[in-house]
Amino acid sequence: MNLGRRRMITAAGVAVGGMATARLLPEEMLLRDRRLPRSRVAIISAEEYSETLEGVLASGLRAFHLNVRGKSVLLKPNLVDYIAGVEINTHPVLVGATAQAFLKLGASSVVVGEGPGHQRDTYLVLAESGLADQLRGQNIHFVDLNRDELFKVPTRATYTGLEHLWLPRTVLNSDFVVSMPKIKTHHWAGVTLSMKNMFGVVPGAKYGWPKNVLHWKGIHRSILDICATAPVNFVIADGIVAMEGNGPLHGTHRHLGKIVLADDPVAADFTCARLMGLDPYRVWHLARAAQFLGNGSYDRIDLIAEGLPLRTDPFDVLPEFAGLQMRL
Amino acid sequence: MDIGLAVSELHRTLMANQRATGTWGYRGNQDSVEATCLAILALPRHTSVQPSRAIQALLGLQNADGSWPAFTGDEPEGCWTTALAVLSLMEAGQAMKHSASGVRWLLNARGREANWLWRWKLRTFDNKVQFDPAKFGWSWVTGTTSWVIPTGFALIALQRAGRRGCDDTARINERVDLGTSMILDRMCPGGGWNSGNGAAFGVPLAPHIDATSIALLALTAHKEKSGVRRSLNWLLNRLAGCPSPYSLAWGVLAVAAYRHISEEARECSRDGAEELMRLTANAASIEDNCTLAVCALALDAINGNNPFEVRTR
Repeated sequence: MNLGRRRMITAAGVAVGGMATARLLPEEMLLRDRRLPRSRVAIISAEEYSETLEGVLASGLRAFHLNVRGKSVLLKPNLVDYIAGVEINTHPVLVGATAQAFLKLGASSVVVGEGPGHQRDTYLVLAESGLADQLRGQNIHFVDLNRDELFKVPTRATYTGLEHLWLPRTVLNSDFVVSMPKIKTHHWAGVTLSMKNMFGVVPGAKYGWPKNVLHWKGIHRSILDICATAPVNFVIADGIVAMEGNGPLHGTHRHLGKIVLADDPVAADFTCARLMGLDPYRVWHLARAAQFLGNGSYDRIDLIAEGLPLRTDPFDVLPEFAGLQMRL
Repeated sequence: MDIGLAVSELHRTLMANQRATGTWGYRGNQDSVEATCLAILALPRHTSVQPSRAIQALLGLQNADGSWPAFTGDEPEGCWTTALAVLSLMEAGQAMKHSASGVRWLLNARGREANWLWRWKLRTFDNKVQFDPAKFGWSWVTGTTSWVIPTGFALIALQRAGRRGCDDTARINERVDLGTSMILDRMCPGGGWNSGNGAAFGVPLAPHIDATSIALLALTAHKEKSGVRRSLNWLLNRLAGCPSPYSLAWGVLAVAAYRHISEEARECSRDGAEELMRLTANAASIEDNCTLAVCALALDAINGNNPFEVRTR
């Protein structure tokens, strides 16, 4: 449970990787380089939320040779709120298919957990989004991470100045945590992908609804500290129907027709941003994450399924994020 | 099903979930001040000695400055649960010195926008979220901005403290007026309340059931205001078909407090209670103690026992 506090932050120095352009902040000099030598990402076409997803996922997961046999798996979807007719949340069919795929890979248990940021009644979102029915039908347990038992964990990065984060037992006790974002633009952070999705493991019971302490510390900075501190072992991103414009709630649908699997959240988010036609190095938290937490540069990411499209019509963004768009 | 039986079943489950320390957790093994306060409010004083054990445990969690933390082991800065703790102690008629120190903390606590510098910044630069920062209330956590639910609970606690002849009536009235203006300022355009603001990035936000209910409970003294009526109407429409016992229970508590002014509210609270009994028929399957407690409180409110109702003179 105890992650070893500052001992884990050694003065190993940070190798500025690939094409990273962000200038190092003083506190970043002390961050341990935790990047994998290489990261694997699978971009997989999937046109719709249907029963075929389970097979698509199973074949995608096989390519990663994951060893989850006998392990407890936590799926962390993006469950924000419910607005009829708007695709805000990770789709229940994808969550259900993922649960099934991990059980077939031999996981001892699969649990779904989330702590929505604004909506205190997690069960209401769960029910109205259709995820409650999906999970009930598969006998999969759901945990409200906003109201779970909490443990104090020393932060493993220093961007917010917080010495520790309170994290839920379910997250800390799981052997294998899967971040399952919905690919969306975000009105404060530019994008919300697998790293921003981890805001949902930080409990409302401690930080409020929304998790306002972290907003005041800076959203980008908080994302970095959370992702450096909480475990993220794998990513399955829902980009079948994504969101552009004024995300994460009031944007418009964008049919991307992709799911993205990755063994590195930073590599996953870089790839998702590129699929969105946005430059990941211009997203503050992504540029910095690529310096110590995971891989962003093309030369350290192996695309093991489909490649990136040659041309992408950039996602619409709010005017203040226009600089993120990669021009054709 | 009979309301009395349903309430008893919820009480039984709640009492069975009480921890050896006298407190309640949300569901696991950690004391939660919110769950403990709601359980104290929900459990009638005469049923057993458990509530007094809970009160002792709650007093044991109070911070030196009069505030309460969110849970055992939390930092001692104090947070939004202080309002619930004050309300619980006042309702139980116990430990008035402790509740008085909680009231003092509430009177001094304020959202971050109360500071002139932040107010200036929010007016000048951070104007993507539309609200008047001069109208502030209470935050979830010290050092952050005001939000609807913490402000709603603080308003209920302070109004009840004021009615009980608390020493600092002038300051209570001043904060209640300011907090009320904040809640009214943050209302969604069509009525009801989201977590904090009515609009962001030029888009109106959708109200939430619990935030709207708690705000309405705090505003019973303003029931003639058109915004309050609009919000009540939104809630009356939204509760039909609500699948979640937690939100439905808050909704029933709110509409029950408006039963004297609206036949629709009376009808809705009765229908809501029926639905709530159906949703909680298997009380033992409900893991969350806050949900159990709020459901018991909501069913009790049908008979006029509503600790969140601020009765106007």
